Amino acid sequence: MSVTVLLQLVENGLVLGAMYGLIAVGYTMVYGTIQLINFAHGEIFMLGGFGALTVYAWIPGVAHLPLFAALPLMLLGGVVVAVAAAVGAERLAYRPLRTAPRLAPLITAIGLSLALQQVVSLWYRLPGGGNAKAPVAFPSFGGKAFDLGGVLVQRADLFTVIAAAVCMAGLAWFVARTRSGRAMQATAQDPDTARLMGIDPDRMIVVAFAVGAALAAVAALTQGLRYGQISFDMGFVAGLKAFTAAVLGGIGNVRGAMLGGIVLGLAEELSSGILAHFRDTAQYGQAWADVWAFVLLILVLLLRPQGLLGERVADRA
Amino acid sequence: MTTSSSTGLTAPGRATRRRLGRGADPLVGKCLIALGSAAALGSTFLSWTWTTAFPGDLTVTGYPGGNQLITLFLSILTLLALGPALLPGGVPGTRWIAPRGSVRLLRSLSLANAASTGYVVVAIAWELGGVANYVAGTWIAGASVLLPVLGAWLLPEDDHEPAPARPTPRWAQIVVVFVVVMLGLLVTDFGVTTGFSEEFIGFCLGAGFAGRGLAASGLFDRFSALTAANRVATGWAVFAAAVSFVFLQSSDAYTSVADNILIFATVALGLNIVVGLAGLLDLGYVAFLGVGAYTAALVSGTAASRYAHVVLPFWAQALIGVAVSVLAGLLIGAPTLRLRGDYLAIVTLGFGEIFRITMNNLDGQSGPQVTNGAEGEYGIPDLRLFGYDFGRPHTVLGHTLGRFGNYYLLLVLVIALVIFIFARVNDSRIGRAWAAIREDETAAEAMGVHGYRFKLLAFGLGAGLAGLAGTIQGHLTSTVTPDQYTFSSSAPPNSAFLLAAVVLGGMGTISGPLLGASLLFLIPDKLQFFHNKQLLLFGIALIVMMRLRPEGLVPDKRRRLEFHERETAAEEAYEELVVDELDRSDGLDELEAEARA
Amino acid sequence: MFQRSLAVLGAVAGVCGLATACGSRSQSAHTASGSGGGATVVKIGLDAPLTGGLQALGLGMQYSAQLAVDLANKQQAVPGVTFQLVAKDDQASASIGEQNAAAYVADPGVAGVVGPLNSAVAQSMQSVFNQANLVDVSSASTNPSLTQGPNWKTAKTRAYPSFFRDITTDAVQGPFAADYVFKTLGIHSVATVDDGQTYGVGLVETFSAEFKKLGGQIALAQTATANTTDYSSVISAVKSSGAKLVYYGGEYPAGAPLSKELKAAGLNIPEMGGDGNQDPTYIKTAGPASNGDFATVPGAPLAALPSAKDFIAQYQAAHFPAPYAIYGGTSYDAAESIILSVKAALAQDGGKMPAGDAFRSQVEKAEQAVSFDGATGPVAFDQYGDVGSKVITMYKIENGAWDQGVYSGAFAG
Repeated sequence: MSVTVLLQLVENGLVLGAMYGLIAVGYTMVYGTIQLINFAHGEIFMLGGFGALTVYAWIPGVAHLPLFAALPLMLLGGVVVAVAAAVGAERLAYRPLRTAPRLAPLITAIGLSLALQQVVSLWYRLPGGGNAKAPVAFPSFGGKAFDLGGVLVQRADLFTVIAAAVCMAGLAWFVARTRSGRAMQATAQDPDTARLMGIDPDRMIVVAFAVGAALAAVAALTQGLRYGQISFDMGFVAGLKAFTAAVLGGIGNVRGAMLGGIVLGLAEELSSGILAHFRDTAQYGQAWADVWAFVLLILVLLLRPQGLLGERVADRA
Repeated sequence: MTTSSSTGLTAPGRATRRRLGRGADPLVGKCLIALGSAAALGSTFLSWTWTTAFPGDLTVTGYPGGNQLITLFLSILTLLALGPALLPGGVPGTRWIAPRGSVRLLRSLSLANAASTGYVVVAIAWELGGVANYVAGTWIAGASVLLPVLGAWLLPEDDHEPAPARPTPRWAQIVVVFVVVMLGLLVTDFGVTTGFSEEFIGFCLGAGFAGRGLAASGLFDRFSALTAANRVATGWAVFAAAVSFVFLQSSDAYTSVADNILIFATVALGLNIVVGLAGLLDLGYVAFLGVGAYTAALVSGTAASRYAHVVLPFWAQALIGVAVSVLAGLLIGAPTLRLRGDYLAIVTLGFGEIFRITMNNLDGQSGPQVTNGAEGEYGIPDLRLFGYDFGRPHTVLGHTLGRFGNYYLLLVLVIALVIFIFARVNDSRIGRAWAAIREDETAAEAMGVHGYRFKLLAFGLGAGLAGLAGTIQGHLTSTVTPDQYTFSSSAPPNSAFLLAAVVLGGMGTISGPLLGASLLFLIPDKLQFFHNKQLLLFGIALIVMMRLRPEGLVPDKRRRLEFHERETAAEEAYEELVVDELDRSDGLDELEAEARA
Repeated sequence: MFQRSLAVLGAVAGVCGLATACGSRSQSAHTASGSGGGATVVKIGLDAPLTGGLQALGLGMQYSAQLAVDLANKQQAVPGVTFQLVAKDDQASASIGEQNAAAYVADPGVAGVVGPLNSAVAQSMQSVFNQANLVDVSSASTNPSLTQGPNWKTAKTRAYPSFFRDITTDAVQGPFAADYVFKTLGIHSVATVDDGQTYGVGLVETFSAEFKKLGGQIALAQTATANTTDYSSVISAVKSSGAKLVYYGGEYPAGAPLSKELKAAGLNIPEMGGDGNQDPTYIKTAGPASNGDFATVPGAPLAALPSAKDFIAQYQAAHFPAPYAIYGGTSYDAAESIILSVKAALAQDGGKMPAGDAFRSQVEKAEQAVSFDGATGPVAFDQYGDVGSKVITMYKIENGAWDQGVYSGAFAG
C-alpha cells in the first residue's frame, strides 16, 4: 500500500468528514440549547439539497450559467428552504412541547422526519415531469481533478473543504462576537439566568435551529456536487452519521462537532479503504463501513461518554 | 322494588337534567330519533342502488348486506340507547346502556350512523357517477339518518355521575363479561373481514363515533369496573374470543391478515415494556424480531441455512431464539443504559442498521457465510409441535383449520403469554421501579431504586419477547431476509411502525398497542389507495398525537397524569370550582322550590 | 331488572351474530351472478409492488397483464369465459406478499397469478400457492433458486411444481456478460462491485464463476452498502488492482455514481451492469463520462422484436397511465400463458369448469405444457418451470444515450 493511496484515503476522509461536521453542528447547537436530539435534522439537510436543486432546475437561466456562478443562487435556495423548514418545525412541533416529558419531542421529531421524507418523495417534481421517488441527478463540476503528486482532489472536494472552513470561521465569529451569538451561549449555559438578563430564550432557540439548518444546507450542496445526485432518503444515514460525529466530538460543543465529523470521516474511509486494499481483508471493506462507524460510536460512549472535546454530560436526562 | 331504588339513586342527576333542559322540548327530539332510526333500519331491507357495480352488492331487497349491515346495527343501537330516555325512569332493561345519561350516547350514535351511512350514500353517487344511481332506499337511508342527529341535539344535556352499580351475583357478572367480549369479537371480526374499502371506512366511522359515545355514556367505565372485579374471567373470555375468531373464518384469506396483526401486536407489546413502562426510547426494536427469526431459521433445517444439518424441534428453536435476542439486548443495553438521556435512542437506531447490514454481509462474500446475505433464509419448513404439522390443514371441532389458522392459534397463545408477563411485571415491584425511573430517575436512585439494573431488565425482557415472536414469524413467512427489518418502510413490522403503534395506542397499556397495531395494519391493508401516503400520514399522526393526545387512544391513567401535569392540575381546580357552584345553585333551586311550595 | 338487561344484551348479541352470518352474502351473491349471467368469471391475480420505490416497474407489470386480459375478453379467447385481473400490492414485502397469496388461494375464482417482482417475495409466496396447486408465473423474479432449488449450482431440484417464470434467470445474464467481456472485449482482468442485494450479488456471483472458468481474473471483489453513493475507498482499491473493467451488480441509483466517481478518479475503464443499470437516469447522473458503459437486459430488445411490436402498439393504444417498463413484455406473456392454460384445462373437460381444486391442478398441468409465441419470443417451460428462451441483449452508452443493443444472442453455457 503506497503512501499516495494512503494520502488519497486521507483526502477522501477529510472531505467526507467536513460534510459530516457541517451537519453535526446543527445537532450539537440544538442539543446545546434545549437538550433535544432533533431527529429531523437529517431531513433538514435533505431539504437543503432539494432547495438548491429547485433553484437550479426551475429558475429559468440558472441551468445555463456556469456552475460556479449558479452556486451562490443554489446555496441561497437551499439555505432558505432548510431554514424555513427548521424554524417552522421548531415553531409548530417542538415549541408547544417544551415542558412535555422527554419522549414527546423525540417522537415528534421522528414523525417529522418520516413526514418530510414522504412530502419530497410524493410531491417533488422536476421540470419535464420527473419525480423524486428515485434519486435525482444534481449538477456537478466538469473538468479534471487537481493532481497533487498523485493525490487527486476533485473540484467538489475543494469546494466542500473551503465551504466548511468558511462556515466554521463564520460560526466562531457569530458565537463569540455578535450579541445573538453570546446570548445563545448564555442561554445554553443557564437558561434561567439568561432570561433574567433580558435574553429571550425562544428567540435563541430559533437562532440555533436556523444556524444549524443553514450549515446543513451547505452540506447538502456539497453532497450533491460530489456524487451527482440527491435523494429523498439521504437524510437518514447522513443524519445518523452526523449525530455520531456530534457525540464523538462532545455533544453541545460546536468545534467538537466539526472535529468529530473529521475523525469519523477519516475513520470510515481509512478503515474501509485499507481493508479493501488487501486481498485477505478485502471483503470487510466498503460493505462494513457503516458498521465500523457505529462501533466507533459505541466505543466512544463506553470509554469517553463526554466526547473528544469533553464537555461534561450533565444530568440532563 | 327495583324502580323505586333506582329513582332514589338517580334523583340528583335527574334534577340537573330538568334544570338544564328548560326551554327545549325533548319530546320532539326523541320522536325524531325514534322515527329516523326506525326508517334507517327499514331502509336497510331495501336496495340502495340498481347496479352491482358498487362493492358489496346493495341491490337486494329483502335483507341487508354490505354497508347496510353497519347501518342496521347502528340504528338498533340508537333505538336501544333511546330506551333510558323514553319512559320516566327509562324503558326497563335498557338503563344499563347509559349509566351517565343517554343524551351524549344518542348524539354520538346518531352521528356514527349519519357519518357511516351518509358516507355510503355519497360514495354511491361519487363512484357510480351521479345521484341518478340512487333508488328509493338510498333516499330514505340518506334522509332518515340525519333526523336523529337533529333530534339528539334538541335533547338537553343529561350527563351526571353514574349511580353505583347494583350488586349482582358473580355468575351473572361473568356471563355479562363473556357476552360483551363475544360482541367485541363479532365487531372485530366484521372489521377484519371487510372485503372492500367502502365497507371498512363505513365500519371505522361507525365504530369510532359509537365508541366515543359508549365511553361518554359511562358504559365503558362500568364494564371496566366489571372486568376489574372479574379479572380471571375476563382473561379467559378474551382468550376464548380470540380463539373463536379462527372458527368464524371460512378460509385463510383473513386468517393470514390476523396472523400478521398478531405478530405485529406482540412485538408492539414487547416494545411497550421498553418504551411505555421503562421509558426507554428504542428505535431499533425490530432488529430483535430479526434476531429471533434468523436464529430460529438457521436451526430449522432449511436448505438455505449454513447449519442445514442441524434441525432442532421448535421449542428448542424458540428457546435459542429468545436467548440470543436477550443476549443481543444486553449487549446493546449494557454500555448505553449507563448513560442518561437520549443516547439510547440513537444507539438503538444504529444497532438496527448494524443488524441489517451485518445480516446482509454474512453471505460468504463480504464476510463469513452464515445468513445467506440478501437472499436470506428461505424455504423455512412449517412448524411442528408435538407432532402437529402447522403446514397441513387440520379438522378441529368440525372446522377445517388451514395453515394460517394453525399459526393463528399458536400466536394467540404467544400473545396471551406476553400479555400475562406484561401485566404481572407491571403490577410488581419491578413495574413500580420502572415507573419511578421513568418519572424521575434521580429521585428513584435516591430512594434506592437501582436504575441501571432495572433498565437493563426492561431492555432484555423486551428483546426476549420480540425474539420469541420472531421465531414464529420466520416459519410463518417461510423467508427471512435482512430488508424485512428496517427502521421505516411502507409495510409493518418495522421500527417506526412499532413505535407508532405504541404511541397511537397508548404507552404503558395492554390494549393500546393491540388497538394501535390493528389499526396501523388494517388501514393500509384495507384502503389500497392509501398505500402511497401511509408513511406521510403516520408521520403526521405521530406529531399530532404528541401535541393533542400524547397518552394515546387508550390512555394509561398514570401516563395521562404525566403528560398533562399542568392541565390536570388546572382541570381539577376548575372542576372543584364548578362543583362548588353547582352545589350552591342546587341549594338555590331547593330554596326556590320550597318557597313556591 | 338485571335479568331483563341481560336479555336485552343477549338480543343485541343475537342480532350481531345474525348480521355477521349474512355478511358473507355479498361474496356468494357475486360469484352466483357471475356464473349465472351467461359467462363464467375466471380471475387472474397480479402481485407486484404497486406503491413505493419500485412502483414504476410494478405498475408496468399490472397494466401489461391487464392488456392481456382485456384482449382475451375482446377476442373471446376462451368462449364463455370472462377474465378478470385482480391486482394486489405487495409493497415489496415478503409478509404482505404471503398474505396476498393466501387471499388468492382463498378465492376459488382465481385460476392463476402473475408476479411478483422481488425474489424474496416470491420465496414466501411459493409454498402457499403450491399447497393449493395455484399456478404462479413470475415475470420479474430472476433468482435461480426460485425454480431450481437452493443448491441450483450443484444439484437442480424443483421444489414447487406450481411456480413458473418467463424471465431469464440471473444465472444466464451474468455468464452472458462474462462471455462478452472475455471474448468480445478481450478484457481479462475485472473488478466486481455489488450492492449486497439478492439481485446484485447473484449477478456478480454468476459473472465471476463464468469469467474465472474462461480464464479471466477477478482482480477485486467489493460489496458496497445498498444506496451508498460514496465509493472512494472502493475506487482506490480498484485503481491499485489494475482491473480493466468494473462489473457492477445492482441498480442504477447506486450504479451511476460509481461510474461517475470512477471516471472522476481518472480511471477510464467502462462499467458493465445488468438490467438494473439500464435506465436513462443512469446517464443523467453519471454524466458524459459514462459513454462506453455497458448493460445486459434479458430478452431480445422489445422494440426490435417483431412479436413485441404488436404488444407495444396495443399498449400504447390502450392509454394506460404508466409505461410498460422493463417487465411489461414478460408480464403480458405470463398473463397470456395462464389464459391459454385455462383454455386448455376447459377444453379437456368439454368446456365445463371442474370444481375447485381439480380445476387448479388441471391449469397447473396445462401451464407446464403451454407453448406459444409471446411478446418476448417463444414461451414454453422446462422441467424446472423456467422459460426455454435464454436470449440476452448487450446495450452500450453511445453519445449520451443507450443504443439499440450492440449484441443480442442466446447464452449457450
